Amino acid sequence: MKKICHEWQKYLDKGFIDKNYWPAFKENALAAAVELHEIKTYDEALPIINKVIAAADAEKIGAVNGEDYPELQAVYNNLGQQYQVYTDKFTIAKNAPSIDIGISTAEFGVGETGSVCVDNYAYEARLVSMLPAINIVFMNKNNIVDTMTEAFEILEQVFDRGYTGFVTGPSRTSDIERVLTLGVHGPSRLILMAVDKTE
Amino acid sequence: METRNIKAEIESKIHDPILRSNLENFSQQYPAARAKAYANVADIDELRDDLRDMKQYSVAHVEELADEFQTSLEQRGGKVFRAKDGDELKKILLKICQENDVHNIVKSKSMATEEIRLNDYLEEQGLRVKETDLGEWMLSVAGQHPSHMVMPAIHLNRNQCAKFFSDELKEDIPSDIPFMVQTARRVLRKEFLNADMGISGANFGIAENGAIGLVTNEGNGRIVTTIPPIHVIIMGYEKLIPKTSDASKIMRLLPRNGTGQRMVSYLTLVDGPTPIIREKNGEMVEENKKVYAILLDNGRLKAAHDPVMKEVYQCVRCASCLNVCPIWSTVGGNVYGHIYSGGIGAILTGLLNGLDEFSQFSDLCIGCRRCTTVCPGKINIPDLIQELRNRQVAKKGLSFPEKMIFQKIMTNRKVFHSLLRAASLGQKPVKSGKFIRNLPLFFAKMTEGRSLPAIADKPFRDRAEKLLQNNPANPKMRIAFFSGCNLDFVFPETGESVVKVLQDIGAEVIYPQEQNCCGKPIIGAGDLDTARRLAKQNIAALEATNADYVIAACPTCAETLEQTYKELFKDDKVWLERAEKLSKKLKEFSSFVEQIYADNGRLKNTAGKERITYHDSCHMRRSLGIYKEPRELLKSAPGYEFVEMTGADQCCGMAGSFGMKYADLSIQLLNRKLKNIKESGATTVAVACPACMMQIGGGIDKMAPNIKIKHIADILAENLGDN
Repeated sequence: MKKICHEWQKYLDKGFIDKNYWPAFKENALAAAVELHEIKTYDEALPIINKVIAAADAEKIGAVNGEDYPELQAVYNNLGQQYQVYTDKFTIAKNAPSIDIGISTAEFGVGETGSVCVDNYAYEARLVSMLPAINIVFMNKNNIVDTMTEAFEILEQVFDRGYTGFVTGPSRTSDIERVLTLGVHGPSRLILMAVDKTE
Repeated sequence: METRNIKAEIESKIHDPILRSNLENFSQQYPAARAKAYANVADIDELRDDLRDMKQYSVAHVEELADEFQTSLEQRGGKVFRAKDGDELKKILLKICQENDVHNIVKSKSMATEEIRLNDYLEEQGLRVKETDLGEWMLSVAGQHPSHMVMPAIHLNRNQCAKFFSDELKEDIPSDIPFMVQTARRVLRKEFLNADMGISGANFGIAENGAIGLVTNEGNGRIVTTIPPIHVIIMGYEKLIPKTSDASKIMRLLPRNGTGQRMVSYLTLVDGPTPIIREKNGEMVEENKKVYAILLDNGRLKAAHDPVMKEVYQCVRCASCLNVCPIWSTVGGNVYGHIYSGGIGAILTGLLNGLDEFSQFSDLCIGCRRCTTVCPGKINIPDLIQELRNRQVAKKGLSFPEKMIFQKIMTNRKVFHSLLRAASLGQKPVKSGKFIRNLPLFFAKMTEGRSLPAIADKPFRDRAEKLLQNNPANPKMRIAFFSGCNLDFVFPETGESVVKVLQDIGAEVIYPQEQNCCGKPIIGAGDLDTARRLAKQNIAALEATNADYVIAACPTCAETLEQTYKELFKDDKVWLERAEKLSKKLKEFSSFVEQIYADNGRLKNTAGKERITYHDSCHMRRSLGIYKEPRELLKSAPGYEFVEMTGADQCCGMAGSFGMKYADLSIQLLNRKLKNIKESGATTVAVACPACMMQIGGGIDKMAPNIKIKHIADILAENLGDN
């Protein structure tokens, strides 16, 4: 998949990430209506995803970036036995308007805000994370930085061209009577799988 | 330019119950929401300083940044244009549309395009243009303008929204909010998928790599920049920042201040052409989007080189200055310019649309300075508005009555003061006690909801001589008392209290009879030449007393003498020196007395029977920074028990001549204040400002006659017998 950087971890490991930022990240992400699951392996996500699919009566899934994470690819393969799972970028683009659930990845989280940084240079990554009503995001639980200041220091090193940014919870509006309503143009649910493989 | 009837517009807003309750609720909730969002930040001011410094650097290098941004984006395959105004931008954009056979356009919020009314133009050219932010879309359907830069439709309720939905979609849409939101999703999704061009604004443009940042909660910014094969960025020069890391300086403040969020749902960063995949001749192909950026000048570059006005570049369009503005929160944003509302909106309108448009509503800033306490870029909004007013007066002159009053009457102290004495006689038929309760005919508006103070029979200046005979035999200091017009002609008894309190602390008090109005109303109207003449009279009169201190018991006079005179004479070395000397001697009454009481061990907390609360004058609290001292004095005043009221530092609505010119609006602010006073349970409200005393006193007289209003000096003077 096309990315703005293929070595995020190298930059994150330059002293930006720390396990101590997790509690702040968790608090802020929950406050931003992120549905957070702390899991130890990728396949622990399977039963959770199956429940989400069943509850939403979903049929089509668009899933990206399996090539960077073989264990994630295994999850996709597993889901593919039961459901229609698109992982090819052309197929995703062709079916984008009717995909029910998008699965994508994030590079790191920000403790101060509960945001996740997404590398969306690839068109298919933008489609699956924006058009469906549900977006499931996989992220390494240990990749949390302190504040937006550090987050942008990292971006300054890796962002030369393309498409990236931060997602903090689902799409929302308060434009009518300031009543908070989720899922305007983007997903109404952002489900974050924080995978901690070190424990 | 269309000539507007601002008073009629205000009148209709005041009587719009939906608008009023929406704004009232929001402005009550906003301060706590903002504080909560900042709860995990150690030092807000440090972040504000970082943002201000970065933006100041950016405006100082704006042309270099524009060049660098252009080079960066073009190296990556984009194309950058510069437009000197709206017409030029429209031409450039139309050409792009024609070259690429564009028919359907989706937009995500770009205030620069609304500034130049781009949508109207594109539609005239036969193009289909859809706003995609829910609020903006509803307003465009309804033919209305945003009343707030972040919450464009805050003036509407769900029923009004449902009607706009129904009219546009030709189907019956119920006023159920989630249903309306889902309907908008469905309708606009089609627009996204069919669009062949996306137009976005930018919250910032990064020079070093040509990237832009877009802040949205709905996610429309991401879809507008993803699906259509062409992306046009339209942004003002003020959005340019040097480096990627500088974006964090904006992003740590903008969402917290704007919507009380620690971060918005989507912060999108786009840099150069990005891939899209679409069907071409029956085959899916991947190709790069076309990316164009148009930098809009429209007065911005001139502002960048203006030594005063360049401060507007520090604005990040969070609209927090509106959220705390007493005027915006009463009448909403539509009474300002057509797109940028509130205080910052008045300035932007003046710079981008011209001073004539600005001057139609420029006096809606009452100078209360609440906005300066929250602005992330630390912009001195009221000062910039004042500067623009001054320029308009310098260019166009004052209206005839103002000119007559300021230049012929007020500068001639004897004429001015004899007219005030004559007014004391002329008001006899309508006067009742200390107030004028009802005025006849077209003056009646001014006494609706409040009484106006009567001009005293005997001004302070005629009482001074007798009073000063009580000066102590062995004085510890020599004090010149600057009364100001209000304590002289409206509240001379309070003037007497001031003198008694000062004599009690061992001061020999002098009252120079040659003193005149401090000049604040004239400065406010922008007639600086006349103001200088008054300032010179006052400086000379006060110098002649050879006093150790000059005391003013009116915060507006104090601010004018202490700070504004120096600014008036910044180009006049001789008078600047004299103004600086005066400035050093100038002390505000309550803070001066508090210090001496503290030194003499006279501040002991008491708990008397009478509950008393305190109203902060805007100038006292935010210009002079004095708010603890009056409270300390009240807490130790025998016979009283001090209680805080809600919103103690909110403007009472007087704000100099504003209270007279916009009487209806002023009453709305006054009513809010009276409600808070009543709810505090206090039976006396203390003030340290005679103008607030006039306004609140007038309201109490009509609507809460059981509550008393007193100047701090009066309260202190009551207790002098006990010492």
